[in-house]
Amino acid sequence: MSAYVVSVLTEGAIFGIMALGLNVIWGWSGDFDLAYYGYVAIGAYMTLVLTIGAPTPPAQYILGLQLPYPLAVVGAIATSMAVGLVVGLIALRHLRGIYFSIVTLGAVYVMYVMAGQYVPLVDGYNGLSGLFDPMGDWFGLDYQSYQYFFLGLSLVCFVLVFLFTARISGSRFGMALRTLREDERAAAAFGRDIYRLKLKGYVLGAGLAGFAGALFAAYLSAFNPSAWSPVEVIVLYSAVLVGGRGNIWGVALGVLIMGMLVQESTRFLPMLPGLGQLNTLHPQVLLALRGVVIGLVLVLFLRFRPQGLLPERRYVDREPVAPASMPAT
Amino acid sequence: MSVAEPAFALEVRGLSKHFGGVYAVEDCSFQAPLGQVTGLIGPNGAGKSTAIDLISGFKLPDAGTVIFKGRRLEGLPPHRISRLGLVRTFQAPREWPALTVLENVVMANWDAGRESFFQGVFGLGRAQREAATQELAKARRIISELGLDAVRNERAGSLSGGQKRLVEFARIRMAQPELVILDEPMGGVNPVMGERMAVAIEGFIASGTSVIVVEHNLPFIERVTQHVIVMAQGTVIAEGPFESLRSSQAVVDAYLGEVVGDASS
Repeated sequence: MSAYVVSVLTEGAIFGIMALGLNVIWGWSGDFDLAYYGYVAIGAYMTLVLTIGAPTPPAQYILGLQLPYPLAVVGAIATSMAVGLVVGLIALRHLRGIYFSIVTLGAVYVMYVMAGQYVPLVDGYNGLSGLFDPMGDWFGLDYQSYQYFFLGLSLVCFVLVFLFTARISGSRFGMALRTLREDERAAAAFGRDIYRLKLKGYVLGAGLAGFAGALFAAYLSAFNPSAWSPVEVIVLYSAVLVGGRGNIWGVALGVLIMGMLVQESTRFLPMLPGLGQLNTLHPQVLLALRGVVIGLVLVLFLRFRPQGLLPERRYVDREPVAPASMPAT
Repeated sequence: MSVAEPAFALEVRGLSKHFGGVYAVEDCSFQAPLGQVTGLIGPNGAGKSTAIDLISGFKLPDAGTVIFKGRRLEGLPPHRISRLGLVRTFQAPREWPALTVLENVVMANWDAGRESFFQGVFGLGRAQREAATQELAKARRIISELGLDAVRNERAGSLSGGQKRLVEFARIRMAQPELVILDEPMGGVNPVMGERMAVAIEGFIASGTSVIVVEHNLPFIERVTQHVIVMAQGTVIAEGPFESLRSSQAVVDAYLGEVVGDASS
């Protein structure tokens, strides 16, 4: 396996965890959360400040501990969930639809500007670095074999998250979240505490984002504001939408298509006649084209197959029907 | 404030709600008898729907008391009121469209124990699995009784308006509340379906659920209710059996004259 394939698969697995978390919030609870990538970033930053040790001047950042990586991951998840709880407490109380989205967009920009501008927090635009091959020395791995180890680790984490969300999906809790998405007034009329239930889903999603962020930090060894723009979340939404909102198999498929195939295929655009030359002159063109391709796919799906490739499954009852006492209409 | 006498399914005293300077409901008081179907009628803008929202916790009253099973309901959020055994429907059918009919009916049963996140992750205990099996059987039975067998695996959003109403009725049968408030159940329903709905309402009474029904269709009110409350301009102007209201001049002025004329034409 070439280094390229290893990196694409590793990124895909991490991206998949992000998408599964977003599916809890948007796919099941039905809230179009624009702060989502903020929880990924918080997970990544927390992992770094908990593992890379004290800052050497002029760098400055909070904590600066040297915890073992798995412990830092737990801390990262907890922090993302805590911030998600605060944002959720405010945004989910009364706001729905576009109003909820606007408030969460505001929240993620606050996080983004804080991380980028308030230097004592996570060293501003320089960001954090220095998390090299976590857990590698436990197993005595060299640089080459570590890439395979980390790919394996990411895939195992993805599968675990997939099984975890599959369990929630089929559970009564998952069904209760869906009743909120479908009609929350009816859900309240039948005993559901909308606010609490939505908060639970939101914090759960934020926790999965933090987990993905913790893996992402280890994969990149570093994290800074150029690694996340609030627009990143749109790529995640496109993956969930294309695959099938609410269906975790669909989400996995969407990650494969949008996160891996479409994103990676844009790398080969410079091979097209004309584009290669343009790319040499303006290196930003490739990045812009990536956005165009993703946007185009998104528009086509919204127009022609809004339920995604694998729509949400329904429970089909196959019990034989007893003779009806009244005629069906 | 004394508690309600057990003969009432619901008691409302002095309920008021204004929006800006306009009173939607003003000093509204009535009692709904236990084990009966109570009609709540009145012209458009009389405050019926606002009164339902106030009773069921979807809006907060400015003043007044709502007493249900000896408890005061005002100020409680909707889900708490529902859990006490007072379930309402809405003017437009509010099915969960992407869920199947069967899922809609099953999820009408709120079960704190089985619905928690931890139960979702760690699975159900033996007694809870037993409860889930019985719940599914009960949902199937109710769907069958309401004649929805053929569509039980369809997504509820794809049903006709009348079928959606029946799904709502099935959800109420599933939840088995002590009192249900139906907000215009006949809206957009054809007369044939209307008879099935009347039978279903009788079924509620038989299963121990008292009923308050808001409706503009007066022949339907006459068919199903034992007691009728007439609202106009936010307050109760008359009550009694439907027949006795026909002769009340206040009621005729406010409402009946014009609408009964329409209905018979």
